[in-house]
Amino acid sequence: MAEYFSSRGLPVPPELTRNPLLQWRRLLVVGVSLAVVYLGLMVTNLDFSRANPEHAASVIRELFNWDFRILTPQNEFETWWDTAEGQMVVTILLGVIATAFSLVIALPLSFLGARNVMAGNPITAGIYVVVRLIFTIVRSIDVLIVVIISSVLLGIGSAAGVVGLAFHNVGVLGKLYSEAIEGIDPGPLEAITATGANRLQVIWTAVIPQIVNPYISFTIYRLDANVRLAPILGLVGGGGIGILLFQSINLLQYGAAGLIIFMIVITVAAMDFASAQIRKRLL
Amino acid sequence: MLEIRDLVKVYPSGTRAVDGISIDIQRGEFVVLIGLSGSGKSSLLRCINRLVEPTSGRIVFDGADVTRASGPELRRIRRKIGMIFQQFNLVRRTSVLSNTLAGRLGYRTTWRTIVGRPSPEDVIAAFENLGRVGIADKAYARADALSGGQQQRVGIARALMQHPDLMLADEPVASLDPATSHSVMKYLEEINKKDGITVICSLHFLSLARRYGTRVIALKGGTVAFDGKPADIDERRFKEIYGEDAVEVEIGPERSTPQPMSATEAALKALTDTTDTLRP
Repeated sequence: MAEYFSSRGLPVPPELTRNPLLQWRRLLVVGVSLAVVYLGLMVTNLDFSRANPEHAASVIRELFNWDFRILTPQNEFETWWDTAEGQMVVTILLGVIATAFSLVIALPLSFLGARNVMAGNPITAGIYVVVRLIFTIVRSIDVLIVVIISSVLLGIGSAAGVVGLAFHNVGVLGKLYSEAIEGIDPGPLEAITATGANRLQVIWTAVIPQIVNPYISFTIYRLDANVRLAPILGLVGGGGIGILLFQSINLLQYGAAGLIIFMIVITVAAMDFASAQIRKRLL
Repeated sequence: MLEIRDLVKVYPSGTRAVDGISIDIQRGEFVVLIGLSGSGKSSLLRCINRLVEPTSGRIVFDGADVTRASGPELRRIRRKIGMIFQQFNLVRRTSVLSNTLAGRLGYRTTWRTIVGRPSPEDVIAAFENLGRVGIADKAYARADALSGGQQQRVGIARALMQHPDLMLADEPVASLDPATSHSVMKYLEEINKKDGITVICSLHFLSLARRYGTRVIALKGGTVAFDGKPADIDERRFKEIYGEDAVEVEIGPERSTPQPMSATEAALKALTDTTDTLRP
């Protein structure tokens, strides 16, 4: 091979002789990865010798020994809403309401957070920076933390869960919406501006038709994510089926806990499937 | 009607796209802008309706100072200047009819744009204009269901809705095949001759410039390299504009264009035609 180049008086390309497995960049990547894993094992002090396989196995067996009493009211003070399926419905609605609240707030804000809409003069460009900064800050506070704070303000229950979820989602949806606006074809904006339309008319005529589908798609994606998040909000006082789940785990009622986990799995899977189908059809 | 004085456009990157251009354009002219890519044709056209903000210089359109105008005054000037684009720039997801009606936005209030219906006069005018460019039967089709040539004709219809005195065309046929190019250029020629709308059109093909232009302005490096009659561009001038290595290419033969339909005839056809339509 090398003769082809040397016989013509050309330099031999290094690709012909170099062994790619021995390049220092690749060796460095492998070395760093191994070091990180080793360091991780050292620092976290993983100790499997304390595991109790018999107890774990009995708990897992219990989880599948479903306790169907939680599906019906157990005394005269309980209504259908206190049953597991009633709380499941509450949990789903929690996700739905939180998505609706965040949608209403994020929708108008997203225009203020889109670079292409706000470019052009220093004041609007400043608003753009501030809005995007707010989105980032709001998004960086985890849902569970917001729910803990709002449960202090509003008391333990669904209200705290809704507010916590909605707050976090304003940041997520705002960012997704703004980026959808930034990704549109600028051609129609230019053309509509050239007809003598003002900024609002340009947004209404050239921007909105282009963002309807991405907006619906992102909203359904977040709805899906919120319904998936809602069951664990009960852990920190956010209401819904999560309260029931953690109660039964604390009371060692693994049969009830197992059934609740199964119901959550079914709900999330159904949501996931439906959301994927709708989103696929939109794109 | 259009007076451009010492126009300069420097982009933030430092590119001097337009470097001191002064031209006067009379009512009824069909001006063809030629020049290599990057010679400043697009920037010059966009400075005229301030889609691009000029760095310095003055543009006066029908007695109104375009470069000084702002807000409502600028929009009043813009609505008398129609524009069509290389990429057509239609709102692809909406119907041909709403794209055409968008040409009236400069005459409508924001409030009526959002909550109101288009006025009957505007809808009739939209069908008339779509009929003029031979595609009124596509009024309810989605804009992106149309071929390139048809989309450009929607672009012309949209611009005509503005009742413009001046039509800017930024390489209107650069994305089209030769036969379709002639059909689009003929519509521009027709609005120039019949309606007396002044046209400023940038083109890549000198053969099209010679065929349709009444005046050719060649740009080179942001300055005017030639300004005169199309017939005066000889071999030497051509090489001056396009460089020593350039060879002139011809664009294919003309093709007959579809006959315009009357508005009522077209509306009827659009309503009864069920293929790829948005509404009945």
